[in-house]
Amino acid sequence: MKQVSLENKIVWFLYPLPLLCLLTVWYFYTLDSKEHQFIFSSPTQVWQTFLRLSANGELLSNAAVTVFEAAIGFILGTLSGACLGLSLWASRIVARVAKPYMVAAGAIPIFALAPIIIVWFGIGIVSKIALAFIATFVVAAGQAYQGAVTVDAKYLRLMQVFGATKMQTFRTVVVPNSLIWVINAMKLNIGLALLGAFIGEFISAEQGLGKMIVRASGTYDMATVYVGVVALVVISLLLTSLVDLLERRLLSWKR
Amino acid sequence: MSNDLGQALVVSALSFAYVKEQKRQCIISDLNLIVRQGELVSILGASGCGKTTLLNLIAGLLEPQAGTIKIAGGHKHNAVGYIFQEDALLPWRTVGHNLRLAAELHHHLKASIETSLQDYLKSFHLSADIVKKYPGELSGGMRQRVSIIQALLFRPELILLDEPFSALDFYTKLRLESEFYGLIKKQNKAAILVTHDIDEAIAISDRVLIMDRDGKFSGEFIVDLKEREPEDVRGTPEFAIYFHQIWSALKSNIAYEAS
Repeated sequence: MKQVSLENKIVWFLYPLPLLCLLTVWYFYTLDSKEHQFIFSSPTQVWQTFLRLSANGELLSNAAVTVFEAAIGFILGTLSGACLGLSLWASRIVARVAKPYMVAAGAIPIFALAPIIIVWFGIGIVSKIALAFIATFVVAAGQAYQGAVTVDAKYLRLMQVFGATKMQTFRTVVVPNSLIWVINAMKLNIGLALLGAFIGEFISAEQGLGKMIVRASGTYDMATVYVGVVALVVISLLLTSLVDLLERRLLSWKR
Repeated sequence: MSNDLGQALVVSALSFAYVKEQKRQCIISDLNLIVRQGELVSILGASGCGKTTLLNLIAGLLEPQAGTIKIAGGHKHNAVGYIFQEDALLPWRTVGHNLRLAAELHHHLKASIETSLQDYLKSFHLSADIVKKYPGELSGGMRQRVSIIQALLFRPELILLDEPFSALDFYTKLRLESEFYGLIKKQNKAAILVTHDIDEAIAISDRVLIMDRDGKFSGEFIVDLKEREPEDVRGTPEFAIYFHQIWSALKSNIAYEAS
């Protein structure tokens, strides 16, 4: 136990080290060169831009739009994808028919779909939600189906001996067994939902971090681009920790 | 053996074959078996001779291709309790929720399960607070005890056991065999045990059957021991005689498998 806690302390101590190294190199590289500052910005410029964008509310309003689009797309996509994936357990024939379509849907890069979705749903937030939805739906469906079909035969046999109906087996064994897979899908889907929303904003939007980054890069305002990128990273980390929290609650038996 | 001669199970002219690569592989052919109330029957035989298939047929997990299986109270959903080699406790449910699984599926069992749950835990020397634990927190022996209780709480007429003690360490196995035997005899239940362990078969059975490679019973031994405590019966002279007789009958099947 002592060894483990010592290891934890070392790891916590070392966590900021790579970031500090990067910031130091960046800081000194851009310290006295206007050209380097123009191309790479500098930690000081980024910090000042962050303070300015925070004070005027621009960062928060853009981040809120992106989070809203990604979160709604994530929730709808993951829930409906998981429902579809789980329901395919009921019929092996339907599952076999659906499989190539799911593989094909999973193979389409979301970037290729973005222009179509924007034509269909306009440049408002609906198209971004739709992109986040599509990006997450396929992963959730695939993972939930895998979870449903990889139920250990001994559990199904037990339910059969207990005279359980198919619906009871589904509720009691298949759904809980798939939870690990659905949680994994959620972890993957956070990045994908943000990507979907971001791509939508990147192509055409009125608001959002994607729009902020595109606008800033057009004027070579690299500091704002970095603030946008860091904001996306922070959002992604916060959403991931929410899923971790959910995992600890739902899969407490695994600890 | 029990004095009650009521029949718990009657299997008549049972046949079953798996079809593999368009070839019928006969597993069980024209098999007959009667198990009386309160009787514990063990089935020994070489691996792959159809012992587990027979249990699966009786449990209704497989459909027989010919013959009939009649279980006392067979019209009820809970005619059969089945204890597998590996426990099938759902890992995401606490022990308590696993034990109450049958009540969730069949609400009328709720009252009887609640009344007898604590007694069963005591009979198998499990503490009351085990119900709050998850299966992953228990030892193999404890998990198998919980599995047995889960099957008994279902109140089956006939209990099927497929090598339930084989994965346990020797001392746990002796203890558990004894606990199981005591409870089955107390409740006058019928049980069929499939095993590879001749000692175990003699120690906890009223009758030992040898199943041959043709899916038929080729030997039958009525076990009538003076000492009936499974924990203490091993090593007695009459135990050794039964062992010798059963091994002699079984040897030809095993030799056949080796060749």
